[in-house]
Amino acid sequence: MTETIILLVDDSRVARMMTRAAVAKLRPDWVIIEAASGEDALSAIALDRPNYVLLDVNMPGIGGLETARQLRFRCPSAAISLLTANIQDSIREQAALIGAGFMAKPLKEDELIRFLDGGSKPS
Amino acid sequence: MTDFLRDIERDAVTEILNIAIGQAALALSQMVAGEVSLSVPSIEFLGPDEAADRLDQSTGRQVSVAIRQVFSSLFSGNILLIFPEARSLDLVRSILGDSVPMDSLTELEQEALLEVGNIILNACLGSLANQLGLSIESSLPSYVRGRGARILDTTQAATELVMVLQVDFSVAKAGLCGYLAFVMDIASARQFSDAISAHLARVMNGTAG
Repeated sequence: MTETIILLVDDSRVARMMTRAAVAKLRPDWVIIEAASGEDALSAIALDRPNYVLLDVNMPGIGGLETARQLRFRCPSAAISLLTANIQDSIREQAALIGAGFMAKPLKEDELIRFLDGGSKPS
Repeated sequence: MTDFLRDIERDAVTEILNIAIGQAALALSQMVAGEVSLSVPSIEFLGPDEAADRLDQSTGRQVSVAIRQVFSSLFSGNILLIFPEARSLDLVRSILGDSVPMDSLTELEQEALLEVGNIILNACLGSLANQLGLSIESSLPSYVRGRGARILDTTQAATELVMVLQVDFSVAKAGLCGYLAFVMDIASARQFSDAISAHLARVMNGTAG
C-alpha cells in the first residue's frame, strides 16, 4: 500500500511542531515532512511527492503564495492549503485563484479534518 | 490627550480598532482555550519619551518582551504585542500544552512568542485591512526585550508626536496580562484616520463593498 505524505511548510519551528502534532493525532500512519521555506519545499518535492501540503504565507524568500503557485504546477494532484495568520481577504482571493484552500491560524481541528478528508488520495 | 482627532474621528478609530482587536483576542483565546478580557482602547498622542514612560508605567517599570511587526499601507507604523517577561513562559506553556516536552519549552520560548505574536498581530491587521478594504503589508515579526524606550523604538525627532493606541488584555487561565499597541507618526495617523472616516462615510451611504 502506498503511503500518504503531507508536507508542512512554515518558517516557524514552533508552528511546524504544533501542526505536526495535530496531523499526527488525526493521521498517525501518515508520513509528515517539513520545510522551513518555500525554496526548501520545492526542493523537498523532488524526493517525496506530497499528497497534501500546508503552507504558511509570510516567510522569508519566495513566500507561501508563490510556493503554492509552483507546487500547484509541479504537484497538480496534491491538495494544497494555506495555513496562515494573514487573514486578509486579498490573501484568501489569491489562494482561490491558485486552487489552494485557506485556513487561518490558530489551526482548528475541524478545519484540518475537512482538509485531510477532502484532499487527494495516494496514487 | 491632544485635540489632534475630533471626537467623531476618535470614536470611529476606536470602533474599527475594537473590532480588529477583538479578532486578535479571538485568536489568543483559541490558542489558550480560555477567555481573554480586553480594556477599552486608549488613543493618545505623545512625544516618544512620554510614550516610553507611559509604557513603563503600564508595565510597572519591569522588563517586557514584545513582538513587533512593521506594517505599511496608506498608513504605516509598528504594531506591538507586549508581555511582562516574567510571565512569558507561562503563556508559551498554556499555548503549546502537551505538544512540546517540558524541557524544550525554555529553548523554544522566543520562537513560540514570535509565532504567538505573528498570529495575534496579523489577526488585528487582517481585520483592519478587511474592514477598510485595503491591503496591508507587514514585516516578519521580530522579538524585542527591554523597557519602554527600547520596546517602542520610536525614531522620530524628540519634538514629534506619535499616536499610541493601547489595549490591555488579560488571560485569566494563564494568569497573564499584556498590551497591544500601535505606534504611528502623525502623518500616518492622519492618513489612518482619513481612511477610517472615508470607510464610515461609505458605510453610512450604503456604498461600502
